[in-house]
Amino acid sequence: MTSKDRILTVEVTDTDGSTFSLREICERGDCHAEFVIKLVNYGVITPLDEVPEMRQWQFDVAALNRLQKALRLQRDLKLNLPGLAMSLELLDEVQDMRREVDRLNQRIRQLMGE
Amino acid sequence: MDFKDYYAVLGVSESATPEEIKKAYRKLARKYHPDVSKEADASDRFKDVGEAYEVLKDPEKRAEYDQLRKYGARADGSFQPPPGWQSASGFGGGGYTEADARQFSDFFEEIFGGGRRGGFGGGFRQSMKMRGEDVHARLALFLEEAFNGCEKQVSFMVHESDEQGRLIPRQKTLKVKIPAGMREGQHIRLKGQGAPGVGGGEPGDLFIEVELAPHPHFSIEGRDVLVTVPISPWEAALGATVTVPTVSGKVNVKVPKGATSGRKLRLKGKGFPGKHPGDQIVVLQVAMPEQHTAEAEKLYEKLAELEKGFNPRSKLHV
Repeated sequence: MTSKDRILTVEVTDTDGSTFSLREICERGDCHAEFVIKLVNYGVITPLDEVPEMRQWQFDVAALNRLQKALRLQRDLKLNLPGLAMSLELLDEVQDMRREVDRLNQRIRQLMGE
Repeated sequence: MDFKDYYAVLGVSESATPEEIKKAYRKLARKYHPDVSKEADASDRFKDVGEAYEVLKDPEKRAEYDQLRKYGARADGSFQPPPGWQSASGFGGGGYTEADARQFSDFFEEIFGGGRRGGFGGGFRQSMKMRGEDVHARLALFLEEAFNGCEKQVSFMVHESDEQGRLIPRQKTLKVKIPAGMREGQHIRLKGQGAPGVGGGEPGDLFIEVELAPHPHFSIEGRDVLVTVPISPWEAALGATVTVPTVSGKVNVKVPKGATSGRKLRLKGKGFPGKHPGDQIVVLQVAMPEQHTAEAEKLYEKLAELEKGFNPRSKLHV
């Protein structure tokens, strides 16, 4: 094992509490603020408190993930904004349904005593 | 090195028109996009499709590939480029592409050169101060691990620049102390544990999304933990104190008299820990013994006589 491969032990102090300003989320997503503002206007991502002053917007980790997902989908599938908004909504719905199906299947197995 | 048949990857014939190639690519890119597909190999398939399209959409690259396909592919499926082979249309020249050449295969790199050999321009990268990329990873936990907190090993790939500014993929492994009460879909952020920065830029962060493996007895709804607990007909009829499992150990629960299947009992604060801890919901299920003694059957007959006014199917109007 080289020194580069050493295993570090890190303690998590920062769970869902992390927030990012508009500037920070743009830096992390490597995109323009206009794009983030459009995503907010389309309801694709939402600041934690919807204050009118954009400089005061704060986004959580889930919003950052969603922004990065939107950027990947836009880059790879050449989706426009309305298409992107609809795709993300449908993907959310599919994910919720998959989770619900998994949950119900699990409940059925428990009820059947398997 | 194995030969990659880009036509087969896109499911088109050798004589496919650029339009047919584009159409096939778009369809497969939608199908295998890692943000869309849940298939285990979606990411690899998506990379293959992107790589195939990167070559076949470009007439020059396609012509070169066709030549190699004709003369370089061996009968056993392996591939060796002809001696002295050098691409005229490769990535090495730094031409603009939307595709991420770092993702392409050794086969692609052997033919056209790739991002790993400095496709983005090593000097440019080295002279610029850039923050490292954030890395996203998923971590599957058992319910007990998520509930109580645990220490887990997480491995992920990061791209690092070497002395020449070339991007080299490297596996990074961390031991992470997961706090108690993590739930499905929650994110953990590890500051500075993503890809290293370039030219003195700060490193990116690692974001871990938690997934929970299904549990044989417990299921989760938000912060609440659900468990189905079988009870006997006499416990249901007369009421009883029964032992019930919780994620943190066994507890005794009072089943009320006249309980029915599906009746829910709430154990306050026995769900997922946190600022607002969840509850455990006990769902009662009346279970029958598989066999009865002759004496028990007689008692049931007596019970049937005494309770003959009860119609359990009244809601079905029968």
